[in-house]
Amino acid sequence: MTDIVAITPVRPSGAILLRRAVVRHRLAACGLIVILLFCAMAALAPWISPYSPYEQDLYAVLSGPSAAHWFGTDNLGRDLLSRTIYGARVSLLFGISSTALSAALGVALGLIAGFRGGWVDGLIMRVTDAFLCFPPLIFILATSAALGPGLHNVVLSFTLFAWTGFARIIRGQVLLVRELPYIEAARASGLTPRRIMLAHVLPNTLAPLIVAVTITVGLAILLESGVSFLGLGVQPPTASWGKELRVGFTYLETVPLFSIAPGLMITLVVIAFNFLGDGLRDALDPRLRGAGPVRK
Amino acid sequence: MAMGSYICVRLLHALVILALVTMLVFVIAQLIPGDAVMAAMASSVDMNDPAVVARVRHQFGLDQSILVQFSNWLTRYLTGDWGTSIGTGQKVHAMFIQRLPVTLELFLGATAWSVMIGIPAGIISALKRNSVVDVAVSTGTMIGVSIPSFWEAIMLIYLFGVVFPILPPSGYVPFAEDPLLNLKSMVLPTFVLGTHFAGLLARYVRSSLLEVLSQDYIRTARAKGLSERAIIVLHALKPAMIPVVTVIGLAWAHMLAGAFIVEVIFAIPGLGRMSVDAIFQKDFPVVQATLIAVSVNVLVVNLLVDIVYGYLDPRVRVNQ
Repeated sequence: MTDIVAITPVRPSGAILLRRAVVRHRLAACGLIVILLFCAMAALAPWISPYSPYEQDLYAVLSGPSAAHWFGTDNLGRDLLSRTIYGARVSLLFGISSTALSAALGVALGLIAGFRGGWVDGLIMRVTDAFLCFPPLIFILATSAALGPGLHNVVLSFTLFAWTGFARIIRGQVLLVRELPYIEAARASGLTPRRIMLAHVLPNTLAPLIVAVTITVGLAILLESGVSFLGLGVQPPTASWGKELRVGFTYLETVPLFSIAPGLMITLVVIAFNFLGDGLRDALDPRLRGAGPVRK
Repeated sequence: MAMGSYICVRLLHALVILALVTMLVFVIAQLIPGDAVMAAMASSVDMNDPAVVARVRHQFGLDQSILVQFSNWLTRYLTGDWGTSIGTGQKVHAMFIQRLPVTLELFLGATAWSVMIGIPAGIISALKRNSVVDVAVSTGTMIGVSIPSFWEAIMLIYLFGVVFPILPPSGYVPFAEDPLLNLKSMVLPTFVLGTHFAGLLARYVRSSLLEVLSQDYIRTARAKGLSERAIIVLHALKPAMIPVVTVIGLAWAHMLAGAFIVEVIFAIPGLGRMSVDAIFQKDFPVVQATLIAVSVNVLVVNLLVDIVYGYLDPRVRVNQ
């Protein structure tokens, strides 16, 4: 009996995991719905936003909510609702692309560390330890400042930092599955280490990877908005929630919605990803319930 | 592994990481196109005059190889010379010492808020597990952790500075100058910084207390007929607080990142504001000092946590 248990694949697939999380956790289901809504908003932005995000109405600068401009207008007379809708594009694009890049780098290095072991493993893990000594925001600000303003440099900075989390998770998973009988069998049947790694070890590390990806997208969106808020990252005139919030802060007394709308969007998206990530983690391993969400 | 050799191993481990951290910090400054000093000096010296450029490069040692620059930089750090700020012309360590009390006050206030909110919320959530209260607290803590601190700050400024003007919306008054105004001006910034860690703390308290409550000795205490209140107060809370103390320690290590944003929004002249200004002015001596200070802080806290855990739980030492 124990043999059968040992050779059964140890992790559920991504789809099963998602279904389990959404069915068991109402909050995870809410998170997923909110994420899908935001994705739809970003994809359909040109069709659903009433104006172009760059179109200026100079007769209505810093106006409050009205029939023509539901959220009011910004300091350059641009429609705030349209800019809020378009802002979803920057945030989601950043969240997804930077997470994908850091996951790719982290998975590759984590696989190598776990599978090779020895000094390679030691070196990669010490490097991740070194990176983890920096709070993410401080590291990303410092590297973005060095590389210069612009969203692609923030993507690069985030990737430079966030691969470490993925590498550690994947390495841990590899160490777990490396000694399982099916890997031994693959080795005995003469498969090359690279093939074992990619065809047999990697698929078994996917479930924890999905959890990490979900939580990292939320963290990335939060950090991007923080970096844009402080003035690096997205440059004008592109609509970005963090940037809008920074400009809106200046006009807090006259047009409060200028700050409220973009901030609410960031909060909703980050909470949605955190709820979904929490639900997925719980579905993957109920013992980890409440182990902790993303850090600012 | 004996405690002494365990500490030596952990110390060695920390030193290796520190060496990597210093390399990383040095490399970050090298990422700047051209170089850090020249980029920062561009506005104050004539970049078209090769003689001036050569003199400045020589003055800052930029005409030497990267390895020599790195070893010079490291030697200066180890001897306590953190360099001179390009922006202000002050010694970097003097700037740190000058701003540290302000940031420490912010940290202490934030810790007080997070303990006052996080620990009771976590305890209530654990005791009323799976009830409406638990779900409400869990949702609240998730919001506390997820809400961007800059948005929370702006909303609170709007609420208490504009709609109900009872607190100063920004600015800082030293405690020695006007204690009451100092405390009033620190309420909002400390609250914003504290709520994030309150959320984190509540989650740890909840899971830690739940774990303790499932232990055999708690069942024994129940079997002895002790009241639920006595069990919680006398037997469960103390052991449940051990991991919580480490979370507070680690939170301090990460609070500086929060201080970056909070100090900018509330115009508080602390370490965070100084570092953000330095980042924008490409004042890399200050940025590097911040990065080193933050990472040493994290390393020391992690080392202490490791040592305390090794002392409390001998299994940790064996697993090394």
